[in-house]
Amino acid sequence: MNDAAIHTSGLAKQFGDVLALDAVDLDVQPGLVFALLGPNGAGKSTMIRLLVGLLQPTSGSARVLGHDIVADRRAVHARIGYLPGDFAADKDLTAGAYLEYLSGLRGGVDVNERTALIERFGLDPTKTFGTLSHGNRQKVGLVQAFMHRPSLVLLDEPTQGLDPLVQREFAEVVRAQRDSGNTVVLSSHVLSEVQALADRVAIMRDGRLVMDADVEELRTAARHRVEVTLEDRSDRVLGALEGLETVDAVSAVDGVVSFTVEGSMAEILRRLAPLGVERFVSSEVDLETLFLSYYGNER
Amino acid sequence: MVTNVFSKTLWDQRRGLLGWGVGFVATVVAMAAIWPSFSNADIEAVMENYPSELLEVFNVRAMNTATGYLNAELFSIVLPIMFVVYAVGRGSRIVAGEEESGILAMILTMPVHRTTVLAHKAVGLVVGIGVLGLVLALTLAITSPMIGLDLAFRAIVFAALTQWCIGIEFGLVALAVAAGTGRRSLAVGVPAALAAATYLAFLAAQLVDQLAWLRWISPFHAATKGGPLGPDLPWLVWTMPAVGVAALVIAAPVFARRDIAG
Repeated sequence: MNDAAIHTSGLAKQFGDVLALDAVDLDVQPGLVFALLGPNGAGKSTMIRLLVGLLQPTSGSARVLGHDIVADRRAVHARIGYLPGDFAADKDLTAGAYLEYLSGLRGGVDVNERTALIERFGLDPTKTFGTLSHGNRQKVGLVQAFMHRPSLVLLDEPTQGLDPLVQREFAEVVRAQRDSGNTVVLSSHVLSEVQALADRVAIMRDGRLVMDADVEELRTAARHRVEVTLEDRSDRVLGALEGLETVDAVSAVDGVVSFTVEGSMAEILRRLAPLGVERFVSSEVDLETLFLSYYGNER
Repeated sequence: MVTNVFSKTLWDQRRGLLGWGVGFVATVVAMAAIWPSFSNADIEAVMENYPSELLEVFNVRAMNTATGYLNAELFSIVLPIMFVVYAVGRGSRIVAGEEESGILAMILTMPVHRTTVLAHKAVGLVVGIGVLGLVLALTLAITSPMIGLDLAFRAIVFAALTQWCIGIEFGLVALAVAAGTGRRSLAVGVPAALAAATYLAFLAAQLVDQLAWLRWISPFHAATKGGPLGPDLPWLVWTMPAVGVAALVIAAPVFARRDIAG
């Protein structure tokens, strides 16, 4: 348990009457890209701000890289990188001067690493922060989050406002971070970016963790949507599928039978083959649909 | 150039200090320049038209010397207010203003204790106010022989020191409120209300004998007791920064533990 990058138990945060985070138990193993998914107001930012010590838990506790986030905040800060959802710096400092300022506060930041990141993201360090576009400000935020080679980086909605080219650089930086054994936690409400980047996802909703799963496992367990048309346009398929527990949401319209399948397709194909299948269309249900089903069911 | 919170706090004040410095020079030079014509006027005749309470409060009777004139015209209200306004404006901005604009959150995730951050900001503020005190002293020292004010160097130093101290008190109170609450409106409002209340207490103490004790709670009494242009620096002057530091010491543990916005 101690070697987890993040370990929370019953972590909760209340703002006035609003319970922003409701007793979250979470373990994030090191060497992973971990995504927190959920709509706005789900508690993702609250979670991250608790983990970086900007908020005090109302109850419960959390350890980041083995250090308690309340009692040992500075030790946590020394080893993490953080990008706030609403990253802001002094408007009249140049990007370069601001990064130098933060390096001074951190101590021991490798100038070469910083310069490499600045070049990688195509950031002009001579421009003052106030004159930068949102996307360029975000680049400053990304450079400072990674420049000291932190063991854990927590990024709140990191790809907001980044153009596709920079997003690709970002993805590479994140992967390099993971490949060197470090951990990245990022929050997002855009599933597609997470699908490509993350090893593990946790879905949050109304301050709670509703699911925590391996992306690869999710894919294999993911459902397929199937449409079958027989040569004689009959709905004999319905009879053939009876008793199969992996099949759900069956419907027949004008001789086209559609249904969803969870897991293996083998038994279904065996049963359908003798019926004279003219058309068979199978599409993978993506995480987006899966994601929506988690939200849709409970509302 | 800027590599810690102290140097950053000073750097952030550079434009403000330049503007305010020019304002201080202009105010002091303008007031001092009037002195020669003022000293030639028939003061006694002018004073007959003043209500006696006013003469007392602003020590107008002493205005027949340059020192008395400057103490009454500059150091009783104009300069203290300028120092308080600068100090409160800055003191509220360097925590609460930065917090409201989201800048502070980033700094507080660096591996530096929050108390250290607050101390750096406090010292940066105190030094910034000190720069204005220095400008004041230099302006007086340079104009004095030019206009024939005959101010003693010692008196100039004590006067500037006193103004610095009143700035420190209200500036640190503003910083303390900002650190404790994170709200700029409160960080401006609380010290402004305190300044108004203690100034009224200062006036009341001089006008009403039964209320004379009120002067002990007023920094404006401490700031004017020694003149402040005068041969001595009363110990009461040191109570001003002491109050400011005390406010900060109370606020620091709250700041270390509270939620940070942004």
